[in-house]
Amino acid sequence: MKVSLNMKLSGAAAAAILGISTSAALADTPSWCGPKKATLALLDGFGGNSWRQVTIAAGKQEAEKCPSITKYEYADGQGNTQKAISDIKGFAAKGTDALVVFGDAGPAVLPALTSAYKAGKVVVPYRVVVGGKDGETYTKFVGASFKDDGVSWGNWIKSILPNGGNLLFLSGPAGNSQGLDELAGMKSVLDDKYKFVNPAPFDVTNWDPALTQQVLTAEIAKNPKIDVIVSDFGPSLVGALAEFKKFNRSVPALATSDGNSLGCFWTNNHKDNPDFKLFTVATGNDNVRLAVQWAVASATGGTPPSETVFKAPTFEDSVSGKPSPVQCRPDLPGAIYLSSGVSADDQAKAVSK
Amino acid sequence: MNQAVGNGSDLLQRRGIVLLPVSRGFVTVAASTIALLGACLLFAPSSVSSGALAGSLPFAAVIAIVGLGQLLVVQQGGFDLSVAGGVSLAVVIAAHFPDGDNARLLPAVLLAVSCALAAGLANGILVGFVQLNAIIATIGVNALLYGAVFAVSGGVPRITTPLLAEIAGGRTFGIPHSVYFAVAALLAVSFILKKTVAGRRFEAIGANPLAARAAGLHVRLYQMAAYVCSQLLCCLAGILLAGITREPTAFQGDSLLLPSVAVVVLGSTSLLGGRGFPVSTVIAAFFLNQLSQFALAIGVPYSAQTIIQALALGFGIGVYSVEWTKNTRRRVKS
Repeated sequence: MKVSLNMKLSGAAAAAILGISTSAALADTPSWCGPKKATLALLDGFGGNSWRQVTIAAGKQEAEKCPSITKYEYADGQGNTQKAISDIKGFAAKGTDALVVFGDAGPAVLPALTSAYKAGKVVVPYRVVVGGKDGETYTKFVGASFKDDGVSWGNWIKSILPNGGNLLFLSGPAGNSQGLDELAGMKSVLDDKYKFVNPAPFDVTNWDPALTQQVLTAEIAKNPKIDVIVSDFGPSLVGALAEFKKFNRSVPALATSDGNSLGCFWTNNHKDNPDFKLFTVATGNDNVRLAVQWAVASATGGTPPSETVFKAPTFEDSVSGKPSPVQCRPDLPGAIYLSSGVSADDQAKAVSK
Repeated sequence: MNQAVGNGSDLLQRRGIVLLPVSRGFVTVAASTIALLGACLLFAPSSVSSGALAGSLPFAAVIAIVGLGQLLVVQQGGFDLSVAGGVSLAVVIAAHFPDGDNARLLPAVLLAVSCALAAGLANGILVGFVQLNAIIATIGVNALLYGAVFAVSGGVPRITTPLLAEIAGGRTFGIPHSVYFAVAALLAVSFILKKTVAGRRFEAIGANPLAARAAGLHVRLYQMAAYVCSQLLCCLAGILLAGITREPTAFQGDSLLLPSVAVVVLGSTSLLGGRGFPVSTVIAAFFLNQLSQFALAIGVPYSAQTIIQALALGFGIGVYSVEWTKNTRRRVKS
């Protein structure tokens, strides 16, 4: 009985978060919020992980700051390019004024974005490069500087291993631009003393914990010395790091993005693993806020923000404790991101539905 | 194809060449696996080190279990494309309902099993009784299962309970627990298929449903049973996977659909139905998994890894699909 009730509740919560939100009269209206009434939709290419759930919550929070936004909607492409394209076309056709699009499928969604833009909609793709041009195929592309993440990791690696060492870099699907940019960032600060032991450009994990575990097993077996693991999605490593124990080796230093489960893993395991140092950059849920600001400003006649690229700040460093020591909230779900502007408790609500 | 294999081995037996009761499929898959292990030792010794095996065998075990389920369906001339949904649903139920609380693991497992029963019955009724095409029916049920996955999880992963992590991910006598589960599933499937009346009927129905119906067997019931067993095995695989990966995603089953069919084919079971080879299927699962470990361990780029796996699969399937003896005979005649 409890089980079926849970299911119903989770359905209701899903409807609540994805549905209409009309938040009235907020005291301070930001400058990017103009007087013209408008509706906004956040269109995800793939919404099926906690990172996306927190991002959706962040986007919703940001849109709620502007009372001129009368309706905020969300659609999930479910990793299906066809559905993502029909979502874009569908929302444009039904008259939504501004579309913020996470174009997971890359240039494949560009024709749909262009036709929505040509039909007079405000179209703001963000984070994933979709090709095209500002003012021609869409209103504004709000990128993320993954290269800066790579530079941050590279600088930290230099600080803990001044004499060089062996690095293992894991990223998502083969050839994804995020991983390539991060690698370029690392290579811009690391010289030949630092050797990448993975096949170039990175080990493919699809950000899937099961595949990550298999890949890491093979790499640990193959490489007797791994000084630092670099991964652009830290939480998918949590299960895999336990593989080091099977080889009776210490978990090495880790440069990655943050996640509550990862912070807690470090907190529980760093004493038994003398080499386990942790450095994280913010995982970038707040990228969506900048995109929403651009979309709202263009749709409501507000002042657009000065930035067009989101730079993820560094977050935790177990060595220097700056800007923050490693954080862990064992009372909250592992799949939340303490670096996010959405409060930890609100995130817990977003991912626990 | 099955008949051809039978004719071939009869011919050989008449000539007194083959006396051992092993199938050509078993010999091929076992020989390929030994050859692969040899290649691993030579070119990528790290992939057969004890640590690497301890890390990769659990995944082989999971592929073996879903492969056994797929085997039963293929034996009835069908396909279970709802493997992905079935595994994913078991994963999210096993991870989400207990929410870290060991005491709630058992109810969660029972719930997962009941969902698997329901999904298997749905598949079985649609294919066995309503006589829908298996591919269409199971794709439909797969979509329903994914609906349930979203209802349970909202697409969000959750960390497994420590108890499940120990049961599925732990080791006894140095062997990962999931391997014991796979062996138990193999023994159960083999025993039922080969040593019980129901199992023998099951194979007979797969080989020729019309003749079986004429002989008075409940063809539809057996066909339905294949889908139910397949979903139950998917459920077992999903629960294990939830323990092995610690923080599984909600779509963990997606990557298992193709391997589940591949191991059945590599294990020499005909896609047209009939005789099944559970032992060969499980060896093929080990082969497939070791192949990807080999490709990872030799450190070639991702594109090359994929090509190596595809070539090995193509080779494996080619060995069975081409009727070598007939071809030779034709060539001799011409």
